[in-house]
Amino acid sequence: MLLFTIRRLNLLIFTLVLLTLLSFSLSYMFPGDPLLNLTGQVQATSEELIQLRETYKFDQSIFHQYWAYLNQIANGDLGTSMASHLPISSEISSLLPATMELSLTALFIAMVVGVPIGFIAAIKHRKFTDNFILTFAMLGYSIPVFWLGLLAILVFSIQLGWLPSAGQISLLYEIKHVTGVQFIDILLSDSEYKWQAFQDASAHIILPACVIALAPATIFIRLARTAMMEVLDTSYIRAANAKGLTFAQIIYHHAIRNAMVQVIRHVGLQFANLVTIAMVTEVIFSWPGIGRWLIESIYQRDYTAIQGGLLVLSSFIFAVHIIIDFIYAALNPLAREPHHGT
Amino acid sequence: MAREKIYQEEEFPSPLLQLWHNFKQTHVVMIGFGCFLFLIFISILSPLIAPYSAVESHLDSLLLPPAWSNDGDISFLLGTDNLGRDVLSRLMHGTSLTFGLSFVVVIISMVIGVVIGSISALTKGIKSSFLNHFLDVVLSIPSLLLAIIIVAILGPGLKNTLWAIIMVLIPQFVHITRNAVTEEFSKDYVLASKLDGAGSFRILTYSIFPNIIEKIIGQATLAQSAAILDIAALGFLGLGAPIPLPEWGAMIASSIDLFYIAPWTVYLPGLAILFSVIATNLVGEGMRHALKIRKAS
Repeated sequence: MLLFTIRRLNLLIFTLVLLTLLSFSLSYMFPGDPLLNLTGQVQATSEELIQLRETYKFDQSIFHQYWAYLNQIANGDLGTSMASHLPISSEISSLLPATMELSLTALFIAMVVGVPIGFIAAIKHRKFTDNFILTFAMLGYSIPVFWLGLLAILVFSIQLGWLPSAGQISLLYEIKHVTGVQFIDILLSDSEYKWQAFQDASAHIILPACVIALAPATIFIRLARTAMMEVLDTSYIRAANAKGLTFAQIIYHHAIRNAMVQVIRHVGLQFANLVTIAMVTEVIFSWPGIGRWLIESIYQRDYTAIQGGLLVLSSFIFAVHIIIDFIYAALNPLAREPHHGT
Repeated sequence: MAREKIYQEEEFPSPLLQLWHNFKQTHVVMIGFGCFLFLIFISILSPLIAPYSAVESHLDSLLLPPAWSNDGDISFLLGTDNLGRDVLSRLMHGTSLTFGLSFVVVIISMVIGVVIGSISALTKGIKSSFLNHFLDVVLSIPSLLLAIIIVAILGPGLKNTLWAIIMVLIPQFVHITRNAVTEEFSKDYVLASKLDGAGSFRILTYSIFPNIIEKIIGQATLAQSAAILDIAALGFLGLGAPIPLPEWGAMIASSIDLFYIAPWTVYLPGLAILFSVIATNLVGEGMRHALKIRKAS
């Protein structure tokens, strides 16, 4: 396990270095002055500019500049937004929790719905159920997400009027911003309408989370189906069968556990995909998250915001990736110490 | 004197031909393939067969519903939008933008990716280890996010979107080519031609490429469905094709305001995207299935 941890941490550090390098070089690639792109101080006076050149070491070589940039990031300073003149770090810290909330809820829905359906498809291999599920899965990952979002709003918000179509919570409820995650904030607040607010927030998250979850869920269906079919083919399942266990016992006690391990292995990669979908969905559902903010900063040519957003969002995705790797390793001894398997 | 044929001629189909034999066994896949060819046909010939031009507006027939509804008009089969532009013609012209350009994008990135991938498969040591890690990082950034960043560098516009998507797709091709070439290189038939004195380049072109081309094509279909969705998504976000162009994503974006009075202006372009992505995915699915059959036999 120690070796595994060291190797993962190594990968994490390497990735973070590459990401900061990318984000740093973006300031040279974007149009305009690199120093202004990096700091976002478009209205700085000449004295302030001299000061900035000093802190970012722009009169020295590019390696010193990169080092100075790393130091600034380590101090939590990602520059100021060119559009709103607020520090990027404070904007991100208020927006990222909303995105985390939405994407993790969607991941949860996708797994809870997708994995069991995939198992059912594998058990009913080459029968009508299997074909039906596969057709549905094909449809699911072919649908353009922005179109699906619009249709969902039309059907569930406008025509049926079941669910609200935009935002995170109704403006009627005044919830103090503590962690940024709406549900935790509501539970922390001492408002007398706590439970109504909680219900309202849940109603707001259902529609966007389901829209985001559809495509990853279909991928989980396929992953779970393949994993389950592989497991059902192994000799330990045959042994269990020969022992006289019923089919349900085999599935619940042996097959599901072993198949789940294989599914969890791929969750990390799917999460990157899910966040992309979440970015577009945030635009449609006016969700106050980092994806919508990033896309708006492109319209406004807010290069500092794009850099900071890229850095934080990719690090978030990678952090989830590593955490899932650890969960996988904790569940599967073969992954942590490869020599046990061979 | 000509040599007499004693044995009946035995035919050994090339890997690609074998793939085709297995491919055409499944009916659903052939339907998908037919749709795929149909889309290619439309995207090439749309200027000739579309009833109207993409921007011509008919001011006396604004927001006509499709012809099968009671208020429809048969001369505008799928209705018109708020400027009186024929939706059918716009969809047909849009095929060459969304679907046709995705095809071009995939081919360009495939060529670049395969070249880089095969070069990197031939190098060993720290360089290739670095490349591997680098690819892992690039692949872990969401494709649309990467495309958005590149668009932010280059500035919005259809051409810049295409470059962005090409750059996003290249790492996937590098990855798959690299793995496939390294895998083939360890096989005996490559050793045989190496012992015959063939150089790396000759081995690559004569021995390896014919055997891995189906993997690359399989990846290409995956990449194309992603490319269609990305072009449409960027168009929808207003970062890709400008509004007057009949790109499907941009068409949806420009008619969101009409969603409640003229829903066909939104759901028809969406259906077009769905149709083309499903056709591409079916072809890819058939390809992978055929590959599996060949591997098993």
